[in-house]
Amino acid sequence: MADDIRALSAELARDPSSLRYVELAEALRRKGHAQEALQVAIHGLGRHPDHADGYDALARIHTDRGELDQARGAWERALAIAPEHAGALKGIGFLFYRQGEVRKAREALEHALAADPSDDQARRALAMVKGEPPPPPLPITERSTLELARPTTGRLRPEDVPQLRATAGNIPALRPSAAGAARPAEPAPAPAPRASTPTAAPVVAPPVPAPGGAAERPPVFAGLEGATADILLLQQNGLVLAGGLRAPDGVDVSELAAAALAGVSGEAERTAGYLKLGAWTTIVAEADTANVVLAPVAGGAMLMVRRERSTPVGLAIRIAERAKETARRWLEGQGL
Amino acid sequence: MSDRLLRILDRISRVRGVRGSMYVAAEDGLAVAQLLMEDVNARALAAFAASLTRKVSGAAAATGSGRVRFVQMQAEQGVLLVAAGMHDLLVAVVADAGINVGLARLEMMRAVEQGQ
Repeated sequence: MADDIRALSAELARDPSSLRYVELAEALRRKGHAQEALQVAIHGLGRHPDHADGYDALARIHTDRGELDQARGAWERALAIAPEHAGALKGIGFLFYRQGEVRKAREALEHALAADPSDDQARRALAMVKGEPPPPPLPITERSTLELARPTTGRLRPEDVPQLRATAGNIPALRPSAAGAARPAEPAPAPAPRASTPTAAPVVAPPVPAPGGAAERPPVFAGLEGATADILLLQQNGLVLAGGLRAPDGVDVSELAAAALAGVSGEAERTAGYLKLGAWTTIVAEADTANVVLAPVAGGAMLMVRRERSTPVGLAIRIAERAKETARRWLEGQGL
Repeated sequence: MSDRLLRILDRISRVRGVRGSMYVAAEDGLAVAQLLMEDVNARALAAFAASLTRKVSGAAAATGSGRVRFVQMQAEQGVLLVAAGMHDLLVAVVADAGINVGLARLEMMRAVEQGQ
């Protein structure tokens, strides 16, 4: 595995645009290096913002970290890009089940099975969710035919998705001892302990709010519009300090956005020096649906403010300046 | 190729306050064609334009904001602008602080389209 990581890292160093960042992120995740895996996935998605496999990998990393809201958001994004993505369908199906949303879980798994009728794991998971006995595995001949007919997409195969291997261990109906026993659909089972051996499948964390979620962060921007959904204070190293960012679907994406922006403040400072521009004051990025304003605060901290594209850039900058002043006072108060 | 790109960059350079403009490969931050005043550090401009665009694109993707088209870094004594197209080429400009950003933006977006 370490050799794989080295080889993939070297390949990405040679060709930073390679889509093999997904494999590297997955290899790191399986090795237990969730933070590094997260960075690889985020950087890859920065280059390939419409890459469903990247969001699928990202979701699995979030799941390992217990960040289930973010995982759900990443899988939803993968499915918005590729509605038949088997890994995302099964991943989100399992997540729905864990969160007690049985109907949604069933729909996602049915969709996964429709996309790939040879997928035994989806079939068994679906049976469990529907309260049916687990079906026997497909006959080898039938499975082979279906697998041969499956188009090669270059994606991770469904059986490579660890959550679904974990499904077999975590869901009572799929445990070997329960094989053949009809069980009703039931709420999410108690969290199982994490796997301790390198060869064991990772176990999905329980559906608890992600640590450091918006609700737990200091209400620094209270009173400002978008205080917990559109304003984020982050450290130079990509960690969230305060505020929060939410995707249009309501998912908290603060940590994801902060990680993507790690190092920007320092790079901007150095480049402004090389180009003799003096200190940088704001960075404004115009995207398809939003304007994003970045501003340095103090001690390497940086503010990110997002406003709808219809908000004039000048006004967005004014809003950012207000938030920046608020953040500066708060950091001073914290002795930072 | 290079002559054509230089001609396109020349239009940007006519905007008052522009100190230099360049085409940059988004993937590796290397200059493809450039038209710069002598004191402009081409490598720093190209590398930062690519890195900044990539990182901001990552943040925008995370927040569901779509693709980043234009980035503007304002500093005390100047401004750095980056326009991004659908493909691999960016157009980066370094200019005086008082530049008409709207005009520069128009020329840069045109340059991005023509450079593909």
